[in-house]
Amino acid sequence: MIITTEKALSTATELFENWVWKTRTEKPEPNRLDVYLRSSEDLIPMTVGLRVQRLGYLAAITGLDLGPETKECELLYHFCTAAAIVTLRFRVPRDGAIVPSLCSVIPSAEVFEREASEMFGITFHGLRNPDHLYLPDDWPEKTYPLLKDFNPEVLKTLHDREPDNGK
Amino acid sequence: MESKRQDERFIIPIGPQHPALKEPAHFRITVDGEIITNAVVRLGYAHRGIEKATESRNWVQNIYLVERICGICSHIHATAYCLGVERLAGVEVPPRAQTLRVLVAELERIHSHLLWLGVAAHEAGFDTLFMYSWRDRETVMDLLENVSGNRVNYSVNLLGGVKIDIDNQISDTIREGLAFLEERTLHYLDVVSNDMAFLQRTRGIGVLTRSQADVLGCVGPVARASNVPRDVRVEAPYGAYQQYPVNIVLVEKGDLEARFIVRLKELLESYRIIREILDTLPPGELTTRMPRRIKEGETISRVEAPRGELFYFIKSNGTDTPERVKVRTPTICNMLSVLKLAVGHQLADLPMILAGIDPCFSCNDRVAIIDHRRKSPEIWTWQDLRQYGIEYYNGHSR
Repeated sequence: MIITTEKALSTATELFENWVWKTRTEKPEPNRLDVYLRSSEDLIPMTVGLRVQRLGYLAAITGLDLGPETKECELLYHFCTAAAIVTLRFRVPRDGAIVPSLCSVIPSAEVFEREASEMFGITFHGLRNPDHLYLPDDWPEKTYPLLKDFNPEVLKTLHDREPDNGK
Repeated sequence: MESKRQDERFIIPIGPQHPALKEPAHFRITVDGEIITNAVVRLGYAHRGIEKATESRNWVQNIYLVERICGICSHIHATAYCLGVERLAGVEVPPRAQTLRVLVAELERIHSHLLWLGVAAHEAGFDTLFMYSWRDRETVMDLLENVSGNRVNYSVNLLGGVKIDIDNQISDTIREGLAFLEERTLHYLDVVSNDMAFLQRTRGIGVLTRSQADVLGCVGPVARASNVPRDVRVEAPYGAYQQYPVNIVLVEKGDLEARFIVRLKELLESYRIIREILDTLPPGELTTRMPRRIKEGETISRVEAPRGELFYFIKSNGTDTPERVKVRTPTICNMLSVLKLAVGHQLADLPMILAGIDPCFSCNDRVAIIDHRRKSPEIWTWQDLRQYGIEYYNGHSR
């Protein structure tokens, strides 16, 4: 069954406008629907809602740092069907955010969550393999490169260390 | 009983060193005898922090940066980025420029698919096919050089247009090259669907069902070989694909053979599109004016790279540098399918399963086989593993 772009957008709009927990939706571009979640707790039920309607596959998870002064990051989950892109988005604290992992619903979320976790310092509750995906194993702790106030100076120590000869 | 089984289990780390394919990745493969029971991936050996780097360069400089994310599909990265930035700026690119972008994108797809055909054949021990397809790849690289001046990193895009144009002489050269490539592609299609020795390595191997491909979020030729109709050029036509519609290529079987057939048939489709473009290239300007600062806003730009959907999220804060550029490449979506597919297969099938997704990792010059009982690591090279695969099938004709 092929779902058209218009059908996907109207189904998603209907789905989230009648959502039990009130949400705000926006259409920033003709092919996009942005859904602003109240909190990360709504993420799994809403994703299940999308899956039940067979709306899209998880194309990516984008992390945004809203800046040190706001003390917040934003997570965007993009689901694509034909040309339609439904984005579930919510804000989390910049420091020590814990967000439920989507892996139980969508296994491919693992790689995106591991990336967001090492780049923004977000913990995904339920993520089976929280290891680094891209960054080196000896990357300094609590250093998240895609945060706006990341200081590359800390990396100088990374390469000064003695090699451990594979131990 | 359980502990004995534990003892007999080997963990085989593969990689990350050396480009036997194209980029480094590290796999830890757990085997029970010959059978793979688990596979874990570790990426990042070629992670250069490009997303972060875009935040400290202006909109124009970033074209050249994103072009260098991938050597083989450099043009499509720049196209995704330019389409997104142009949409944010509200700029309409002239039709001739849009069409030339598609022309180069399809030439790039030909380059990428021929290169993949060679690599995949090599992993199966079919080096004759590897040599021939890489010889033919020279033809398309020459065409690209003719059009853009470069064999890789074509650097065709500008914000607001393209910096190349083609005349009748170049069109004729391209037509000539395509005639040769089309003949070769038909021959390869015959080889991969009829050569019994080769089919032994591809038919029924690494089967990904339609629902698996859907749930795992596979994209590009890997998805289409499992009959999942996912092609951004068809689903959400961008640029000149509205004027030059693409016929989607789908195969049902989902095994390695299907992945060969999908890519080869896509080559034929690319030849058709390029010929149509050469016949009906609209006249007109090549560029339009772009503002230096881009209006505040967010946009998502999706394009079909040779390996599948390429996804860009671009956020502007109204200055001359982007607030955030998020890039999701197709390989990361398909990587998970490798891990899933490998489980239950013979170790000897691993090189082909990896090559089957056309991973833009590369890899794996050193394989260490660690025997947990003896604690004595035996080092294999990727070459050894590949050879092992070939010899295994020489001795186990099915």
